[in-house]
Amino acid sequence: MKPPATAKKKSPKKPVKVLIAEDDPVCSRILDKRLRQWGYQTLLAKNGSEAWRALQKPGQRVALLDWLMPKITGVELCRRIRQISKPKYTYIILLTAKNKPQDVIKGLQAGADDYMTKPVNFLELQARLQTGRRIIQLEDHLLETQKRLYELSMRDNLTALWNRAMILRFLEEELAQGAREKSPTSAIMLDVDELKMINDTYGHLVGDAVLRSVADSLTGNVRIYDKIGRYGGDEIFIVLPNCTLRSAQKIAERLRAACAKKKIRVAGGRISVTLSLGCASAEPKDRLSVDRLIWACDRALYQAKRWGRNRVAIPDHSPEFRKGTSHGKQAK
Amino acid sequence: MENKPNDFSLPLNRAEALERIGGDPEFLQELLGIYFEDFLLKAKQLRCAVSEKSFPAIQDLGHSLKGSSANLSLPGLQKAALNLEMAGREKDLQKAKDSLASLEKEFERLKKFLVQSPA
Repeated sequence: MKPPATAKKKSPKKPVKVLIAEDDPVCSRILDKRLRQWGYQTLLAKNGSEAWRALQKPGQRVALLDWLMPKITGVELCRRIRQISKPKYTYIILLTAKNKPQDVIKGLQAGADDYMTKPVNFLELQARLQTGRRIIQLEDHLLETQKRLYELSMRDNLTALWNRAMILRFLEEELAQGAREKSPTSAIMLDVDELKMINDTYGHLVGDAVLRSVADSLTGNVRIYDKIGRYGGDEIFIVLPNCTLRSAQKIAERLRAACAKKKIRVAGGRISVTLSLGCASAEPKDRLSVDRLIWACDRALYQAKRWGRNRVAIPDHSPEFRKGTSHGKQAK
Repeated sequence: MENKPNDFSLPLNRAEALERIGGDPEFLQELLGIYFEDFLLKAKQLRCAVSEKSFPAIQDLGHSLKGSSANLSLPGLQKAALNLEMAGREKDLQKAKDSLASLEKEFERLKKFLVQSPA
């Protein structure tokens, strides 16, 4: 589970792919050569049916459509493309010998973005294609921003772990799936021991750095399909799908050991922190609610604290509980 | 001296065609080759359409040849193709026959012209 990248990576500009739907082979060849010279990728369609197949593909973002074509006309293609749901917009320039105002209106009303009369003036076409390119780049930028904001809305902004709402949603989903597939779902509630003392001694910036470092350490020590979220304050909650209580204990112990041996670099030196962890599990037959499983984890965490911190505990109603808690060398 | 777009005295307005395609004479040769191939196919289809009195086909083929002729600045062929398109629209068989004859004559004139004054 990798946190989202906060800075946008700059990728080299990919050439825009333009569909040229034109039944006249001379016009098609001229357009093809000119567009390639201007840095576009081209795809040629000899009739409306070929064009329609190409237009439905998500990567086809710009199209030059001849109005009069065999099988499906350019205007009909405009209507069709505006009726289907495509993840990204297709910018359409309609090419035609028809130059009456009512023809222009008909073409634009069918869904064309632009309209050019034949024979084509290529300087004008180049400028109009640049407009199309600007519009699809603007859309790409907006969609990218929307995606990043969506990702950020699901994350905790200090640790980049899932936020509380998301981790609770995952828990709910996994409990439902576990019940359906008859597999146990486990969870771990953990917190950093003595974080308040670290905050009071070194300041809150150091406390924040500790939380970030703990989050990193956890991320690298769970299974790929486990979900880790910040529950609140210094409490972190982990959802373990298809995982028995015993396996959850092993994972928790691995997390505890990894954190205990880690030296965290902070301003003025290195410190180490320990974790207390409470594990609980929902067997499919138990039909445990989200609240009940969190409560069970909480109880176990409380036990781990009470028994001296830096240890893993499970709820006292489970058979394993009576066998004791794991704690460093005592864990076996 | 360059001929003007509406000058029908020459079958090809070379200067205008070259300007449209970016001034590359080799590319113009390639396009004329494509045009010839397309023309021969469409002329055959036109002869069939005229003999079968298929006016929509006459109109469509005339329209198509009008476009490619305009792209290559072939004014005589463009005009004959326009007349064919109109004959198809007007369902005028005699006009279609006359325009087809004129189209084929213009095509022969273009071939001769290209032999006499190659690029």
